[in-house]
Order: sequence, then structure tokens, then C-alpha cells
Amino acid sequence: MLKKRPLVTFILLGLVLFLASNRVDELRVFQGAAIAIYVIAISSIILLTGYSGQVSLGQGALLAIGGYAAALSRNHFGAPVWLTFCIAILVAAFGGFLLGLAAARLSGPYLAGTTLALAIGLPSIANQFSILGGEQGLLYDIGAPPESLGADFTQYKWFFWIASLAALMSIYWLRNVMNSRYGRSWKAVRSNDVAAELAGINSGRNKVLAFTISAGIAGLAGALLAMTISTVSPGAFPLALSFSLATGAVLSGVTTLGGVMIGAVTLVAIPEIVGSAVSRFEFSEMVANNLPGLVVSALLILTVLFVPNGPVEQMRARHEKRAER
Amino acid sequence: MIRTNRQKLALTSALLAVAALTASSLPAQAASDPGVTASSIKLGITVPMTGIASPGYNKIPGAMKAYFDYVNDNGGVNGRKITLVIKDDQYIPTTAVAKANELILKDKVFALVGTLGTASTKAISASTQLAKRGIPSLFVNTGFSGFADPKAYPTTFSILPSYQMEAKIMGKFLKEKYADKKLALIYQDDDFGRDALAGFKQAGITFGTYIPYASGSQSLPATGAGWISKLKASGAEVTVLFGVSSASTAALANAYAAQFKTQWVLGSVGGDATTIAATNKAYVPLLYGAKGFSFAAAPTDATDEYIKLFQSIYATAQPAQTFDNNVVAGMSNAFLAVQALKAAGADLSRAGLIKAIESKGATFANPFLTPLGYSATSHVGGTGYWIGTYDPTGALKPDGGKYTVYTTDSGNGPVVESSYKRPAMPAKGLPN
Amino acid sequence: MIQFINMLLIGIGAGSIYALMAIAMVLVWRSTRVINFAQAGMALLSTYIGFELIQKTGNFWIALPLAMLLGALLSALVEILLIRTLIKHSSSGPVAGIVPIIATLGLLGFIRATIGFIWGNQDVQIQPPLSKIGFKFGTETIALSPMNLFVLLAVLTLVVVLGFIFQRTNLGLSLRASAYAPEIAQLAGVRVGAIRTIGWAIAGGAGAAAGLLQTVNGTGALSPDSLEFSLLLTFGFIAAVIGGLESLPGAVLGALVLGLVLAAVQIYISGTLVFIVAFALLLLVLLIRPQGFIGMKAGRRA
Repeated sequence: MLKKRPLVTFILLGLVLFLASNRVDELRVFQGAAIAIYVIAISSIILLTGYSGQVSLGQGALLAIGGYAAALSRNHFGAPVWLTFCIAILVAAFGGFLLGLAAARLSGPYLAGTTLALAIGLPSIANQFSILGGEQGLLYDIGAPPESLGADFTQYKWFFWIASLAALMSIYWLRNVMNSRYGRSWKAVRSNDVAAELAGINSGRNKVLAFTISAGIAGLAGALLAMTISTVSPGAFPLALSFSLATGAVLSGVTTLGGVMIGAVTLVAIPEIVGSAVSRFEFSEMVANNLPGLVVSALLILTVLFVPNGPVEQMRARHEKRAER
Repeated sequence: MIRTNRQKLALTSALLAVAALTASSLPAQAASDPGVTASSIKLGITVPMTGIASPGYNKIPGAMKAYFDYVNDNGGVNGRKITLVIKDDQYIPTTAVAKANELILKDKVFALVGTLGTASTKAISASTQLAKRGIPSLFVNTGFSGFADPKAYPTTFSILPSYQMEAKIMGKFLKEKYADKKLALIYQDDDFGRDALAGFKQAGITFGTYIPYASGSQSLPATGAGWISKLKASGAEVTVLFGVSSASTAALANAYAAQFKTQWVLGSVGGDATTIAATNKAYVPLLYGAKGFSFAAAPTDATDEYIKLFQSIYATAQPAQTFDNNVVAGMSNAFLAVQALKAAGADLSRAGLIKAIESKGATFANPFLTPLGYSATSHVGGTGYWIGTYDPTGALKPDGGKYTVYTTDSGNGPVVESSYKRPAMPAKGLPN
Repeated sequence: MIQFINMLLIGIGAGSIYALMAIAMVLVWRSTRVINFAQAGMALLSTYIGFELIQKTGNFWIALPLAMLLGALLSALVEILLIRTLIKHSSSGPVAGIVPIIATLGLLGFIRATIGFIWGNQDVQIQPPLSKIGFKFGTETIALSPMNLFVLLAVLTLVVVLGFIFQRTNLGLSLRASAYAPEIAQLAGVRVGAIRTIGWAIAGGAGAAAGLLQTVNGTGALSPDSLEFSLLLTFGFIAAVIGGLESLPGAVLGALVLGLVLAAVQIYISGTLVFIVAFALLLLVLLIRPQGFIGMKAGRRA
């Protein structure tokens, strides 16, 4: 059904989510919002790395740009929330455009290193300028949910609705882009950029386009992230975030959009599961502090070793193998 | 046609299944505040237990728990035993919010206590809507003066004096003691250091040399050496350092390597001898003769009744760990929390707790040497500092042989010598 | 005048520390073609092992080569157990770019947590084996101490020895060939797998030296969450890029340039610009001459 009537599927999926959110407790609703945001952020990496073949270790910096753009436009110009999201997308996309121009000439470790430097350097830039709020950060308040939804409608439910709507719309749009001729030309450049050039594809322009779109989507995720913590500060976009997103992309299967939920859910669920498992036993402080990190890293290594292309791609490959027989 | 019907059926049953499964998780309506029963109170803390900001701070929850367990073993507070749920936020605001949500929504704590970090505290307060839910956030571990404003943060209470207060008191001290000396200032170039600059400005003091450093760069090889080189060139006779302890370590070690002598004046955050000792024991003697600021008794001062009590409790609870300023901070925080819970009475509620601190907080039994400023119009905790000199073992000894505390506010108020007499510690340090 | 000389010495001193990290990184890149976060973790672990060795033997000069040896063995072990499986499963496509990075990231987290387990509660401190008080010229104490001098000498030795291995020996040729063109190397009879393990071992040994030396040159404190370590790695990377990721002498030169520029900025302009200048330098080099100032032309970078 997804292939034949994608729009209908997405709308139905949306309905299911909205109905479910009414019945689930607040913590899960908040986590649901976090999952939706990760879905958007991870999909931006899938576009950039999986489709366009450019490794970025600094997506967190682009999320930060989006978050700050949204907060600043709201605090200084009183922009309505939907407009702040659009501004976040545009500003981040512009940042991605600039980055793409620089990156088009780099590859491999140089690209990864530049994006890494950006991820480390951006927070310290935010620290320097007081208009960006310094280390304490800025407030980003999207206001209470509208009266029409009832007095019982909590703020976290409101966050969840907004984040899920944004996720559904972005994934739908992204899917169309990846299936379009742009998607195909990215794949061509990724496989063999010399052959692609011969076929008339301008690989430099393609790479910049990929960076721009990927950055715009990341910017949206950043604005939504800022929404859920109601603030934006350099500490909210640490290097660890960029690494988590890259990890999530690899866990989802970096070449395909289909598994993006897996990565997102894993990023939110695993720390909580491991954390509550650890707290159930009365471990010594040293063990309790380090065990979560140990388990998460071990899981990551095992997954990457045995399912490197992601579960969706792995299943597809198995299907094809069976079909060949 | 049949396929479409089957799909519709599948979807509808899926919906019903989801509804049925999740309907059972609807929360029951609570009659009293969560986290309180007739025999127990649940408190929650988010603090960096791992990650780059964790060294030192990750001792605070263990110290708090040591004091809470001591109280529990001796009857608890109004008959209730206290449990502390500890969550690691790695000093990242997003993680802090997620963990705070777990504390509030899953663990259902009665109140948050000792939240660490300005950015994290701000994020938690705004995102989890502490004010709207009426959840108390007691004694936050940050020097940001904004949390003392009950209009902005009605359920949050500060405990540490603000950086501005410290800088104002420091400024007055410098003016009086070193009026004719060449002054230099090394400070961290972020909100922490800029708050100090504002305080120095209010105190009306200017420095001959200003050396700001980017937060984080103090650990790089060239930085400390660069400071000393500049200080040497400017001939600074008195050097004030308003930074973190890794900055003081860098400054002192490089001054020694360059054989540069100056009168060091260290802010309370960077002047923690125990953190410096944890970095490298060989650096502690370098503190000898430096001036330091503190608002609690020194952790080595066994003549102070609170320090003596805390030392004995901690030695039993955590024999493998060293007793340092972080432990004192944690146990003092827990002590005040217990005093607040006791004052709120047997009929314990969140609103009641907040009222109790606002009305009686200023007169609580208090391990600090500075008076507490809690009132209905201000949620400020400590308001002052005493000045001392480090001896060769790194112990800070008060100038003049006794603790003379100076107090001020975070605004334009003057710096005055305080006449506060700390109330005697309740018997055995328990809420009787 | 004195301040200028001191600035130069400070810059060179810092640069030599960045050079240690940069050498380790260039080694890893040249022998494995993988961006390897795990090497940082293994250098950290080797430094802790060095600490234990110093505790047991009481002598830094015995512990240092032993730690390097153990670091080399540890690296080789990781290569055999982890990396070979990884390369087997993900040898092509966009996955090949990012998956090894994520795997080594996971390994770094694993090593960090393990270090926390074993040494977590202790204050781990290593006292410097040489004096850190500067040499005296008349009444002036300059910003160069016996410890600084030793680090410089260590850097030079490493560069000379490793450079000799890579450029003048068959082993070096095999290392470079296996990393750059593994299939061709195999055809020429090179046992690529074993050679790669040796490459990792050499990088592990150099990493151990880097970790120990930068610790004693700094505060002497070790912790799994040390900010200092992460910063040094970043600056080591910047230094390696400035000099060109393909060249060991380049890495050292880049590190010295970085150290001098930052020292000058800090002393003559303002200490708040340190990070901004470092990253600006990185971006500048990447945009204008990505292969670095010593590195070769384009073809090699793929």
C-alpha cells in the first residue's frame, strides 16, 4: 500500500499516532516527540551520506543553527511558531549551502574532519557572542497549546503533535525527492562520479544541493529540539549529538529511508532501558556510572559488525538472494 | 475490492488494539502530591556523573545520599525516610530535561534537589514547567543569580551565593588591602567570568591587565605559560583568578615553572584545594600564601561542628573516597533539604514545602557561615564570603583567625560585614 | 624581546605536544585509511597501563617503552578481532565511508567505560620524570624546561625513525601499498592482512608514547573523561591537516605552525580567540590547499 498510495498511508499513520498519543502517559509522549525529532535528523544524514555519499560528522552544528535561528526570530521579532520553523529551515539550509560549496572540493577524511571541526567549534562561537545567550542559552517558548484542544491537553502532547506532523511531512517530502531524478543523480554520483559526469551530471552542483537540503531538514530538527527543551544553548548541541545521529543513521541503514524509525527508537529507548536495568540492581557507584556506556557501546559495535548495512537493506539483500535461487 | 476491505479491517483492528493496550496506562487521579507516603519521601537529582564536567561533581549525589541515610537511620524526617533517585545528565541540557522528565513522570519524585548547571536548570524549569506543576526545585547547584527571583522561578531555590556577589566582595577586599599595587585579572570569557566583571565594576575596581581565556582553553599546553608570560611583562604584583580549578592549576603550575612570584587571589570556584590535589598532589604546596574565598568552613577544619559531623558520616558511608569541598557541598545541600522538609511539617505537600522555605528559611539550622536569604520576595540562599590564606598543606585558614563573613546582594547593594551568628547545630545534626 | 622569545618557546613547546598527537593520527591514516577514534581510546588505555607500570617499577624510563610495547600489542589485537570482521562485511558503497568510523566510535565508548570500571574511583596522577622549571639565562627563567626539551627530542626521534621505516624499508613500502591499493599489493605478494595489523601496532605504540608524554608534560592527571585529551586530539587533527595527512614531517611542521600561531594570538591579541583561530586556520587550509603544505597533489586523497 505504501508504494501505491503513499499519501494515504502517511495520513493514516498520522491519525494512528494522534489517537495513540491521547492514551499514553506523558513520559512516553515526550519520548515520542524525541523519536520524531531523531527521525527527521537521521533522515538528513541518510540523504547526505547514504544517497549523496558525503560523510558528515557534524550534523549537530546544523541542528544548532536551526535551533538558534528559531529562538532568535521568536524572541526578537515575535514570529509565530510555524514561521520560526521556516526560518530555521532556511537559515540552516543556507549554512548547508556554504558548507556544501566548501565540501564539494573535499572528500573522505578531509570532509569528515571539517564537519567534525564545525561540530566542535560552533558551540564555542555561541559562547562568545552575548546575543546568542552565551552558555546559559536563550529561551524558546512556543506557547501553550490552543484553547480549542481542551484544558487537559498537556504541553508535551502539543510538542508531540507538532514534532510528529513535521516528521511525517518531511519524510513524505524527502521520499519524493529521493525517488526523483535528483535522488537518482545522487546515487549515480555516489557510485562513480566520473561516469556520472560523463553522463552529464554536474557532481559538484549535486553535492551542494544534497548539503543544502540535508541542512534544511537538520535545521528543522534543531528547531523542534529547542522546542522540547524550551531553550537553546551550546550545551544542547554537543559533539555527542552529532555522533549519536551518525550512529542512528548507521543503525537504521544509511542507504535507505525505510529503517529510519529503527535508529530513532534505538537512540531513545536504549539509554532508558539500560538505565532502568542498571538501577534495578544495587550496583556500586562505579559500576552504575559506567555500565550504561559499556552496554550501549557494546551493542553498537556488535550491530555495526554484523548488520553494517542496516536491517532493512540486510532483509532486502536476503530477499534478492532467495529470488535469485 | 476485498483487498481494500481487508486493509480497512486490518487498520481498524490495529487502532482498537493500540487503544486497548494504552487505555490501561491512564494515570489514576492522585489525591496527595506524588512522591510522598506516610513513611517515605522521594527526591530526585540530575547531575553529570560521567562526561567532561563530571570529575568532582559526580561525588555530590553520593555525599547527599550519605547524609540522607544517616537521617533515615535515626528516624527520618517527621517519621518519613528519604530516598534519592540519581540521574546522569552528562551536563547536556537535552539529557537533563529527559532525565528530569523520568524523575517527574516515571519515578514520580516529590521534589527535585541540587540540579546542576545553569543551562540544564533553565531548560528543565522551562520544559517540564516546574512552576505550572508546582514542583519544588530545591537548592540548585549554580551561581546564576536569576534563579533567586521568585517571579521568574516561583518553585526554585538557590543555595550558592552568586558570582556577582563574590566579585563585589573581592573588589572591596582588593581596594582595601592592595590599593597601591599593580593588579591583574585572569577570567573565563563566558557568563561565569562576565558576571564577575559586572561585580568588579559595581565594586568600582579596575585592573591594570585583563587576561580573558576561552572556556576550555585553560587545559591546552600553551595557555598557562602564555598567561605567566603576560603577567611577567606587566609586572603584576597581585593577580586575581576568577576561573575554574583547571585554570588555577594551570596558572600556579606555570608560575612555578617560570619562577614567577605574585600575590594570588583565587575565586571560590577555582580555589578548591581538594580538586587541585585530585589533579596532582604536587601542586597543592603552590597554593601556599594565596588568598581564597569561601562561604563554608574549610573541609579540613575539624573544629567546625558541621565539618566534624559530615566527616564522620562520610567516612562510614564512603570509606574509599576523599572528603573534599564537593562532599561538603553535597552534604550541606542535603542538610538544608532535611531542614526544609522538617519545617514543612507532618502534613507534607509541595506548596507547603515552598511556603516553609520562604517563611522560615532564613532561620534554618545552616552548615554555611553565610546567612541565608530566603524570603517570599527572594529565593536567594548564601549571600556572603569570608577571606582566608592557604597554608602549605592547601588548607584555607581565615584571615584574622576567625571567620569574618561579608555579605551583599547581586545588585547595587553595598558590601557589609555580617553580624550573622550561625545557629548551633541541632543535636547530632538530626532534624529533632 | 624576552616576551617574544618566550612566546616562540611556548609555541614550540605546545606545538611539540600537538605533533605527538598528529604523528599518531597520520600513522593511523597512512597505514589503515580509516578515521580511527578508537586509536584515541587505545592511547588513553595505554597511558593508564603506563601509570600502573610506573606504580610497579617506580621508574618512568622503564615504563615508557613497556607501555609503548603493550599499546602496540593492544592495537594489533583490536585490529585482528574487530577491524578485519568489519572490513569483510562492509567493503563497498557509502557504507564503507561511515560504518568504520561509527564502529571505532563505539570502541572508544567501550574503552572509556572500561577505564571507568577499572580505575574510576582513583586519583590517577603521573609525576613528571624531569624538572618542569625553565632553564635560566642569567636572571631570566625562559619558557623551556628539561621536560619540554625531552618532548621535542621524542618528537624528532619518532619522526626520524618512523619516516625511515615508511620510506626506506620494505616493511614501509608494504604498509603504504596495503593501505593505498590493497588489491594490487596482494597481487604483488604482500600479505595485506598481516601488514595492516603491523600498521595498527605501530600506530598503537606511537599513541601510547603520545599519551604518556602529553600527560606528564601537562598536569599529570588522567581521567577517562578528560577534556584535555579531547582538545589535544582535535588540535592534533588540525595540525595534521595543516601539514598534510599524508606526511609525517608535514604533521610535525603543521603542529609547530599551529602552536606558534596560537601562542602569538594568545599573548599579543587575546586568549579568547584561541578556538576561533584554530578552526579558521583549519578551514583556510582545507579550502585553499586541502592536501596540506607538504602533502602531495590531488590523486592520493580519494
